Amino acid sequence: MSQAGNLREDTEEAGPSVDSENPEERIAARRLRIAARSEAKKRQELGDDSREKKEIKEEARKSQHQVEQSEKVPLGLCYCYDGTELVTNIQVAADSRESRRQTEVEEAHRLRVEKLENEAKSSLEKFEEITRKWTVAKMKEIPQDLRDSLSSQQQLCALLIEDKNKLIHELQKEMKLSDDRYVKDLKKQAEDVDLMIERMEDQVKFLMGSYRDELDQIENSFEHERKILLTGNRKKWEQYTKERRDKELENVTQRMKRVEEYEVLLQQLRTEDTEEYNMIKIKLDTDVQILEQQLQQMKATYQLNQEKLEYNFQVLKKRDEENTITKSQQKRKITRLQDVVNNLKIKCANQEKQSREENQNLTDDYTRIMQQYKHMQKKMRHFAAIDAKKFEEVWLMNEEEVKALVEKALDTDRLVHEQQLGLAWQRPSLAFMERCGPLQPHRQTQKTAHQAISELLHSEVEREREGSEGEHSGTPKPNSHSLYFIISCKELAASHQHSMLGLGGRDDTEDAAYWEAMGDVIPEAKLKIWGALEAALDKYHIVLTERSKFITDTQSLKQQNTELRMLLHQYVNSRVNAELEIPPNLVMQLAPEGTN
Amino acid sequence: FANSNISPGAGMYPPVAKLNLAADPRKMRRIIAEDPEWSLTVVPLLSNLCLQHIVRNFEEKPILEELLPRHKDYVLERLSPSLPLQVTANLISDDGYWKRCCKQRWGLCDVSSYGHSWKRMFFERHLENIIELYIPDATDPKTVLGMVPLCRNYVKRLDISQLMPPIKEPQKSEDDDNSDSASDMGMDGPSMDHFDFGILLDKLNHLEEFHVVYRVKGCGMNFEWNLFEFTFRDCESLAKALKSCKTLKVLRIHQSKVDDEKCRQLVNNLLDHPSLRELNLSHNLIGDRGARAIGKLLNRSKLERLTVYDNNIRGPGAQAIAYALAKNSSLLSLNLRLNRLGDEGGQAIAQALLKNRTLKWLHLGGNEMTEPTATVLSQVLVQNNTLRSINLSCNRLGMDGGKVLEEGMCHNSSMVECDIRLTEVGQESDYCISQVVRNNQNQAHRKHNTEENLAQTSEHY
Repeated sequence: MSQAGNLREDTEEAGPSVDSENPEERIAARRLRIAARSEAKKRQELGDDSREKKEIKEEARKSQHQVEQSEKVPLGLCYCYDGTELVTNIQVAADSRESRRQTEVEEAHRLRVEKLENEAKSSLEKFEEITRKWTVAKMKEIPQDLRDSLSSQQQLCALLIEDKNKLIHELQKEMKLSDDRYVKDLKKQAEDVDLMIERMEDQVKFLMGSYRDELDQIENSFEHERKILLTGNRKKWEQYTKERRDKELENVTQRMKRVEEYEVLLQQLRTEDTEEYNMIKIKLDTDVQILEQQLQQMKATYQLNQEKLEYNFQVLKKRDEENTITKSQQKRKITRLQDVVNNLKIKCANQEKQSREENQNLTDDYTRIMQQYKHMQKKMRHFAAIDAKKFEEVWLMNEEEVKALVEKALDTDRLVHEQQLGLAWQRPSLAFMERCGPLQPHRQTQKTAHQAISELLHSEVEREREGSEGEHSGTPKPNSHSLYFIISCKELAASHQHSMLGLGGRDDTEDAAYWEAMGDVIPEAKLKIWGALEAALDKYHIVLTERSKFITDTQSLKQQNTELRMLLHQYVNSRVNAELEIPPNLVMQLAPEGTN
Repeated sequence: FANSNISPGAGMYPPVAKLNLAADPRKMRRIIAEDPEWSLTVVPLLSNLCLQHIVRNFEEKPILEELLPRHKDYVLERLSPSLPLQVTANLISDDGYWKRCCKQRWGLCDVSSYGHSWKRMFFERHLENIIELYIPDATDPKTVLGMVPLCRNYVKRLDISQLMPPIKEPQKSEDDDNSDSASDMGMDGPSMDHFDFGILLDKLNHLEEFHVVYRVKGCGMNFEWNLFEFTFRDCESLAKALKSCKTLKVLRIHQSKVDDEKCRQLVNNLLDHPSLRELNLSHNLIGDRGARAIGKLLNRSKLERLTVYDNNIRGPGAQAIAYALAKNSSLLSLNLRLNRLGDEGGQAIAQALLKNRTLKWLHLGGNEMTEPTATVLSQVLVQNNTLRSINLSCNRLGMDGGKVLEEGMCHNSSMVECDIRLTEVGQESDYCISQVVRNNQNQAHRKHNTEENLAQTSEHY
């Protein structure tokens, strides 16, 4: 192999290089390189095996050598060449014959053509002569001459035809000859073919024999080689098997030992495990019992629960039914209420609209009323001033009157005392008599009230403004403002009513005392006296009146008497009476007696 | 039916044969070791019955590809070789079936010359048979055209060993109808045209080799010259057909009386052919003008082998070929055996070889060459080291020519074959030349061996 490697390297060195200018050469060089690389890789992989292979290779070379040798056997090759030469000799001979024949044929052909041409030329001459003689014959008028010339012509024609016939004959002879030759050639060819086959067979036989010998030799060498290889390999095989056996024995003993160890361990583990197992079993048994009890309990509770739940379930069912009913009811109600709500909403909207309108109206009213109010206030102030004036006037008048009455009373008292009773009268001290005009009340309160009202009005106007501004932002605001305003207005009015009313009337508490003091000018004792006096005077008066009455009565009666006398006179004097059956004078005299 | 099948294959019909079991001693045996199909089971398998049915009705309903491989083998083994090709041609690819077909039809078969494909052999020989028995105007062209779709995938070579001329006398025997059709076709006079390859070659898209001979085989005593005619119209149609066949690699037209005009026509149509590698026009009548045409073809094609032996080429024709050869770089083999080159042509060829560096094999046997050619050839032997084999047999080189050649040979190391038999050279020079040739052979052999070893070792790793 090393030799082969060297050889390869040599060829590589001599072979194409990668730096070559020729692209094909470069490709070839690269291919070689790849092959070398893969080879090296394989060799690495094989490692030790390659060495063995090398030995085998070297041994194999012997057989290869044999093969080469047998390929080079000169005898076989020589014979091979000689044999083929022998075989081809026939072909070459035939070729030469053929070429000779061709030249001969060509020559004969040439001669024949020449001959034919000569013949054609001569016969043409003869023919021309004949044709020329025809004209001569035509000229002849003597039948004898004509016959002679015709016969000579006939002879000439016969001669020409004879020549031609001769030529044809010759050519036919030649044809026959060539036919014979063709037959001969065919025979010769058949012989040649037979000979060739014979020689080929001989050659094949010989080559077969020699190749068989070579093959046997090669086989022998291969056999030999194989034997050697076999023995070598068997030895190796035995060695390896022995090694393997030893190793296996060792392994078995080791394994036995290990097995024993493991068995002991296993036994130990087993006892431990059984103990543990028992313990666990007991524990688990108790556990099981407890659990069973629990299970029973659980079952009982479960039963109970189940019943309860069933009851609950029933109840719930019922409830559910009820609920469904109520639900449906509620639903219906909801729908109804929804309708109502919708209606109400509409109503509310209407209401709102309405109220807004009302509000508008009311604000309008309010402004109007405010104007009216102001107007009224103005009027009132005017009236108050007039009232105060009137009051003062009245006061002064009344005071004057009262003072006059007091004076009169005092005068009457004095008169009573002096004239009736005859007592001395003393004038009581009367301070108030000096005073003149109404008592001056405090003007402050009036002022504050006026101020408050003006302030309130002022703030109200401002609020109104704000309200009108805020009307855009929300509807309930102005309402509340106006409401608030009304309430505050009422409060204010209530709180200031007194002062407002007291605008005309002043503090009259002192007035009463004042006036009572005036009334009390005549004390009680005097009044009692006056009473008694009155009573006495009344009695006196009554008597007087009765007397006056009687006087008047008597006067009227006196008058009546006079009148009646006149009337009676008339009647009695009248003619009518005379006509009457019963004169009135007589009735009268009777009637006055009845009425009276 | 069963009795008719009592043969090695009869084992497949046991139930039918049961009736006369005793009559057949074979049925009485328990075991027949040499017949693997034999069994005593009385009821055959349903699958086997089905398969037998398929085999019997294969013509009407070919079922093959759907079958399991085992059943397929069973069916193929039993299909009749006489089934119509329309059914089998493109369906069956199994060589065993076609082997049976070939054996049945021809008996003696050498499959190695058909690329070891029995199917190819069957179709090639079948098509050849059809064409060889084709009589123009008498046979319907459809018989050939009908085969085309069936065989075009398998035919790689056509070796036509005879071509029938049309039958001359129409009143002869049964060809009355055909004579009418022939006259209808407007042929003027008795045409001697053969089968028109134009209808066939362009359809065979795997055709690589085409051999044709315009002659009749085994005419015996019915020989007539006009059986061996190659008419102009034949030549024209053949040339066109060859042009249309783009896959053709090898063309051989021999023993067909190809003269200069026909040769020129053929060559004109073969110029720039994409695949033609080998041209063989041996045993014809090609002269100098034809040779000139061939010379033109040499440099307008990829020809590697040119064989024109046994023609009528002389000096001028050889000069034309030599002129082409001097510039050619593809031709490997040239055979001008049995022509008339003479010294004029021989010298021209030898001069061309001084320039050519590709030709390996040259045959100039039987060309009437003499000493002057030998002198030039000795120069060639010295200078050219690509030429491996030269054949100068049957030329009258003479003693002097032999000596000159010997001298030239002494400086040569590439010549492996040199045939100088029957050239009248001296024994001495003959011996010397053969020695040199043997040396060269040994060297070449050794070189070859080392190369092989190298290849083996590189393969081994």
